[in-house]
Amino acid sequence: MRILWNELKKIFTWKTMLLLLFINSVLYFLLIEFYIEYFPNGSEVYSYNIGVEMVEKYGATMDENEFIDFQKTYEDKAEEATQYLQSREDAVGNGLDTYEKFQAYDWQNSSQKASDLQGDIFFESEIDLFWELQEFERLIDFYNYRKSIPDVLTDNQRARLNELIAKEKFGVYTEIAMSNFKHFIANVGVAILFSVVLVISPMILKDRSRGILPLQYTSKKGRNLLKTKLLAGYIATFLVITGLLAVYFSLYSLNNTSMFFKVHVNTFIANESWYDPTFFQFIMLCVAAIYLIGFIFVTLSMSFSNVVPNLVSLIGIQIPFIVGFLIFGLSRLLPYMISVWNPKWLAPVSYGSMIIISFIIVYCLVKREKKVDVLM
Amino acid sequence: MMRIIINECKKALTSPILIALFILFSAFNIFVIISSSDHKEELKMVNEIIDQYGKDITDNSMERFESDIQMDFAELSRMTGSEFTSVYEFLDGLRFEDQEKYNDEQWEFFNRLQLKEMYLNTAKSIDESYGEIDIRKTAESEIKKYGLSGNAAETLMNEYDKFSERFDEMVNNGEHKQWFFAGKAYFMHSFLFKTVFLHIIIEALLLIVLSTALITTYEFENKTHLVAYSTKRGRKLMKNKLLASLAIATTIIVFLFAITLGTFFTVFDYSQIWNTSISSAFNWEYNFPYVAWWDLSVGTFLIGLIALVFIVLLLFVGLTFALSVVVKNSYITFFSIAALFIFMWLLPSFMPTSSILLFVFAYTLPTLLLAIGSSFMGSSGLIMFENFEWMTISCWTVITLAVSFMSYIRFKKIDIS
Repeated sequence: MRILWNELKKIFTWKTMLLLLFINSVLYFLLIEFYIEYFPNGSEVYSYNIGVEMVEKYGATMDENEFIDFQKTYEDKAEEATQYLQSREDAVGNGLDTYEKFQAYDWQNSSQKASDLQGDIFFESEIDLFWELQEFERLIDFYNYRKSIPDVLTDNQRARLNELIAKEKFGVYTEIAMSNFKHFIANVGVAILFSVVLVISPMILKDRSRGILPLQYTSKKGRNLLKTKLLAGYIATFLVITGLLAVYFSLYSLNNTSMFFKVHVNTFIANESWYDPTFFQFIMLCVAAIYLIGFIFVTLSMSFSNVVPNLVSLIGIQIPFIVGFLIFGLSRLLPYMISVWNPKWLAPVSYGSMIIISFIIVYCLVKREKKVDVLM
Repeated sequence: MMRIIINECKKALTSPILIALFILFSAFNIFVIISSSDHKEELKMVNEIIDQYGKDITDNSMERFESDIQMDFAELSRMTGSEFTSVYEFLDGLRFEDQEKYNDEQWEFFNRLQLKEMYLNTAKSIDESYGEIDIRKTAESEIKKYGLSGNAAETLMNEYDKFSERFDEMVNNGEHKQWFFAGKAYFMHSFLFKTVFLHIIIEALLLIVLSTALITTYEFENKTHLVAYSTKRGRKLMKNKLLASLAIATTIIVFLFAITLGTFFTVFDYSQIWNTSISSAFNWEYNFPYVAWWDLSVGTFLIGLIALVFIVLLLFVGLTFALSVVVKNSYITFFSIAALFIFMWLLPSFMPTSSILLFVFAYTLPTLLLAIGSSFMGSSGLIMFENFEWMTISCWTVITLAVSFMSYIRFKKIDIS
């Protein structure tokens, strides 16, 4: 136990902590800040507000009666817009005295006066009504097309989409909370991956390059020490991931998306998935995936740490693995792991095989260490 | 002395990981180039046009080009049996079942004619589209886009005024009336000077920082420092290590460039393009054409960029050296350099949008490297300043020399036991 504690102390030196802090603040500003600071971004705010109202009014799902009510809200707003237009002389003068006319107007070939009016309504006046109406129209369009499915699909995908339609799980709620979270979590994944690899990698190599292995291995604990070191590595990984997740999620809470937590992922627009967890369950799923990714890559780091001759090689050998994972794996295995646009088996099989490989690596490491010539 | 440098070089050259990474990176670059070369045959059309009509688009050459195309239209009419004034007209009206009627050779002819017509139409519309460009408006929209005010807005406006003069001069010189690959169709400028160059830059940086850190901290990490630094050569060994790092970096850069650009220019035919101006109207990919501050040809521009990248990467050797002499640990050096790189790149975004500091803090090596495709350009947003490249380089040369020298002086007297 005391040895484990001391190994942990060797991992968390103040130098490493400082570096960890520096790297994470840089990565935060590079990757994550945008999705916290600019949510909802620009005109997305109308989408967000309407989404919040919908969830409060209709709950986690929306049936046809509720949709009729939703459409009625839209019509009321359109009426309001009509009244607004009639109160404006330049609108009436251009023959745009009702919202229907405003909507049906051919904006591509509009007169100068009409486009001035449009610019004034959308950008100059402090009036949100027309932006809101646009968002209403977009949501209603999605509702109207809820039963159509795209042409190019595999058989499995078509079956899943038909199943969702049969179960009446339509994408009706605004997707911005979901897509914001997906971007956020993917970038958190990147920051955490770099962090754990940075902290854990040099641990085993350090003892070897200091030449204290012969001393350690002739003690009573002997070559079993490697097991303790691996355990210390995993505990440290857990601590780093948990700490960083706590920090990043407390920042995420500023986005104020908790009202969407009870909505199922398939009920968000364009979020067809193989399974149907709620938003909150999906967040938990992503957290679990981040822990898995962390542990898998730390296993890789520790095994490299046990064989490479120096620190530069330790970094160099990990570059292809990490960059390769970031390019090809991360988005498929983290934010889009249950998306219907990836094969259903992809995430389970990838994680499964990576876990099995990790176990094999650990087994081989421990077995090899029992007999290896430490004087080399 | 020479022997010491060679032996120091060997430390990096015989590292299997660095060699493997180098091979992997080169293979990756070749893969990236080959996998986006679907249109390489179509690109040859520009070479043919330049071959026949010269690189300049003059009234005379346009006339010849147009009359040749008229002959092609006559040929088209003969083939199809009806009159067309544009190959697009023919292709749009073509029914699916009629496609079989024409053999491969005829299809080849249609495709070539389509390309020629595209180039002809773009060339005809140059005067009109350049007439629409109003630099002042561009400046105002840039200022609005980034929300600039006060000093910053004023400074940018002044620079745009200067650029406006240059723009008029360029139009008068007819630099824009030269043949180049159609930008909106192929994005060749972005592909070569952004995608491919960025691959080279990032890969070279990784290799250079790693090898420099390896050589510089080698004695400490292998516990030979007490021996090595108590020899007759003593702590001056660090100087040799710096020279060795520079030599290794040069080797890496030269070979990476040679392999990657060698592949690029074998795949894509640039043979007639070299003398075309980089400010050509065809080099118009997004909402503003590329317009350089000077009259640069594609060849000069390429050489200029290679030189820039080379110098900046060597400066990074110096900075890595300075840091690793202080830290004496290659691991911490690598991650600190990586974090500093990103930090310096982000610096302008921490600055107030009303202050000229916003521009001053963009004069950093990472900004220069990551925006390398827009170097020497007046059309590159907040770093469009005429003096951006040489000022950045000279300031950072001074800084690098100073910090390297200081950390070396400090090292000469420090307790290393």
